[in-house]
Amino acid sequence: MTRNIGKWLISGPPVFYLAVFFVIPTFIMVLASFRHAGEFGGLAPIFLHDVRGAHLNLTLESYREYFSDFIYSRLFIKTLIYALVTTFFCLVTAYPLALLIAGSEKRHRDLLVLLVILPFWSNFLIRIYAWMIILGPQSALSVGLNGFLGMFGIEPVGLLFTPFAVVLCLIYVQLPFMVLPLYANLEKHDPALLDAAQDLGANSWQRFWRITFPLSLPGVYAGIALVFIPVLGIFAVPDILGGTGGIMIGNLIKQEFLEARDWPFGSALSIILTLGALCIVGVAAMVAGRTVKNDA
Amino acid sequence: MGKLLFILFFVAAPVFAGDELHLYNWNNYIAPETVDRFEAYCKCRVVQDYYSDNEELLAKLAAGAKGYDILVPTGNALASLIRQGALLPLDRKLVPNLKNINPAYLDTAFDPGNRYSAPYAYTTTLIGYNVEKMKQLGLPTDTWAVIFDPKYLARVKGRVTVLDSQRELMAAALKYLGYSANDTDEAHWYSAEKLILRAKPYWAAFNASSYIKELTVGNIWLVHGYSNDMFQARMDARAAKRKFTIGFSLPKEGAVLALDNMVIHKYAPRPDLAHKFINFMLDGKNSSELTNMLGSGNPNLAALKYVDPEIASNPAIFPGKESKLEMLQDLDMEKRRVLNRLWIKIKIE
Amino acid sequence: MPKRLLAASGIAAYLFLYLPLVIVVAYSFNDSRLNAEWVGFTWRWYKALFEDDAMLKAAGNSLFIALTASFAATVLGTMAGYALHRYRLRLLPVLIMAPLAIPEILVGVSLLIFFVAVNLTLGLLSITLSHIAFCIGFVAIVVRSRLAGMDESLPEAARDLGASPWQAFRLVTFPLIAPGILAGALLAFTLSIDDFVITFFTAGVGASTLPLQIYSMIKIAVTPEVNAVSTLLMLLTLFLIVIASRISPDSVRGK
Repeated sequence: MTRNIGKWLISGPPVFYLAVFFVIPTFIMVLASFRHAGEFGGLAPIFLHDVRGAHLNLTLESYREYFSDFIYSRLFIKTLIYALVTTFFCLVTAYPLALLIAGSEKRHRDLLVLLVILPFWSNFLIRIYAWMIILGPQSALSVGLNGFLGMFGIEPVGLLFTPFAVVLCLIYVQLPFMVLPLYANLEKHDPALLDAAQDLGANSWQRFWRITFPLSLPGVYAGIALVFIPVLGIFAVPDILGGTGGIMIGNLIKQEFLEARDWPFGSALSIILTLGALCIVGVAAMVAGRTVKNDA
Repeated sequence: MGKLLFILFFVAAPVFAGDELHLYNWNNYIAPETVDRFEAYCKCRVVQDYYSDNEELLAKLAAGAKGYDILVPTGNALASLIRQGALLPLDRKLVPNLKNINPAYLDTAFDPGNRYSAPYAYTTTLIGYNVEKMKQLGLPTDTWAVIFDPKYLARVKGRVTVLDSQRELMAAALKYLGYSANDTDEAHWYSAEKLILRAKPYWAAFNASSYIKELTVGNIWLVHGYSNDMFQARMDARAAKRKFTIGFSLPKEGAVLALDNMVIHKYAPRPDLAHKFINFMLDGKNSSELTNMLGSGNPNLAALKYVDPEIASNPAIFPGKESKLEMLQDLDMEKRRVLNRLWIKIKIE
Repeated sequence: MPKRLLAASGIAAYLFLYLPLVIVVAYSFNDSRLNAEWVGFTWRWYKALFEDDAMLKAAGNSLFIALTASFAATVLGTMAGYALHRYRLRLLPVLIMAPLAIPEILVGVSLLIFFVAVNLTLGLLSITLSHIAFCIGFVAIVVRSRLAGMDESLPEAARDLGASPWQAFRLVTFPLIAPGILAGALLAFTLSIDDFVITFFTAGVGASTLPLQIYSMIKIAVTPEVNAVSTLLMLLTLFLIVIASRISPDSVRGK
């Protein structure tokens, strides 16, 4: 009995808080996606004299709008592609790094991991801004690259305000989220396995692809999830570094709330994004679960 | 540790001391010196927040933003705010300096009889450019064609930015096509969209604010933007002793004129200070400071004698009667959605 | 993988991680308002920073929000972490993890609609409430991992010796997990002071925070003042991490 009281006393406050400030807002957002937009923006007649009256008249208009024109799905697909490319390059960059850390001497490991996390502790916007400087037309990188291209008679290229800039920066901000789960996994590998393979004549590539990589799959999947999902909702990176064609679905959601004053549609987009992300993660988790089980 | 936390908490707690006037203004739209002088005059502190688009202002207010005393909306946003009942009427007794305003800028369709608003300054949306580059490339600077026509754009590919504003870009395209900036015929919108899409590959970015810097640094040579921003870019380039000058001019097809107005928000905590501020800014001398420092157009007749002759004689800042300028009108929800969809199509590629 | 290739790509990755930050710091000393090329060394941007009222106010707001939010999130998150560890509540992990698992923009947007619906004026309060909501989960995870590493027999022994559940917690469990709680608090503090997305949607009048201020500076008028404030923020976080690593080495290892 006391145990039960303790249980509720301890879990009650955080549960209550999250119910109020996470669950209820989520439901309100779902509801908002079925409502009409206010004449001057917003939804509720709290601030506005809604000409349709104060009652809630629900509508599927926002979802109809989404499916009425393929342009929205195209933006969604484009966002998915950006997220996939980012995730892929994060994996390719992070893997050797995680492997290097896991293979280094024990006393150095903590420091090496800390060095990966440190940049992640600096402000997100500052890291975007850094790339703005690096990729600017008068930066050493741009000047050097264009000088090099010029030798072959190739037209100078701009780096800033391009999809390249957006993806590069996305990789940069997400990289630590890939390194950490990979490292956590690789660190636990038993070096005896690799020694045994070497004794049996496997070269270093074979040892990697046959032993290390398959064993690290859970870490790989965790990293992919940690990188992929946040990228889907990002708007600041394309906002600052993207050029004329740089927008992602996050920018559109932001635009609906902060420019177009079309909250129902913004909410509908948010819900479609969430459902899409859940579906992808669900399918990926099923596939991953099966692979991991088969390999084990 | 707990004690330390408490001490820190109180040290960090924002201090609300004395009188404060909350000003929600366009970025870069008041001279710091003017703010200092007003603070000294009213013995209060001016707290500023900024927006870079009318839509942003309206959206923030629609989201229930409160606590601002003064807003500085452009005509169409002003009309929308009035219809929403979001503004306090002006107390004429407290703003005697309203008499300084050129009658041509009073009693507009957006606020008949100026019940709510007092004109602040105006800007035009035009083209700004790196004078030397334009000469070197042989590009015209008196037509929207240079922004929209691939014939010209090919020479400045990747060195052009246009405003990141649905209405402004659409207006420029409509003007170029010979329509009104307020045209709501969807067929005309679609031809404008086509025009924009054809020109887009040559543009570097949609940019609402940092083009000032890009022009000054020399990364960008040609921009679609606001006259006061161009003025600032010119001054900055001069101050930084750049080897080029920044010019700006009104396209012959016509352009958008934005008359920005001071209004008092319905939930203004300090309407008294707000009236004081409005009257202060309507004073000829104070108003001229705005023009001299920021290069904005000035509707204040009493200010003209203080305005730097170089600025007063610039037709891009003080346009003549022949320049075919239009003020933008607000769109209804349905049109906004159509425009919004067009905008995504423009931006997605 | 061949050792040398591995080392080379590892070093390249570290360079990739640090080069941008080094550049940000270096340019904070650049004596050019335009900040396009290197002109000369100066401290003036730091000086400008401390004379910039808007920036100082934003910093004050950020500090206030981060302290308040991290304190509340630490209390609630510790309870949540304890509950996660101790009781088998089926929905609890979902409730605690969900805000961390979905894209931040959705949390921001839904909170914006929520605050408007309940007629709460956007401002310091709405930002703080939002920050608490997303920090709880992070604190809970750190505290739970600390609890998982604790010897369960210790509080049980205390109970056997006649301590009440509260006494057992206060005198045995709490001191054991205190480093985890503190680490959680520091994590919440840095997350709050750095948060941009959720703040962006829930901020109102006169409640600008440092990240919002930086954003508008990047978008509007970039001067090396941005670099200067960035450098100081990095130093602050570095300082906090050093403290955290002294108190609880586990907390900074990302476990």
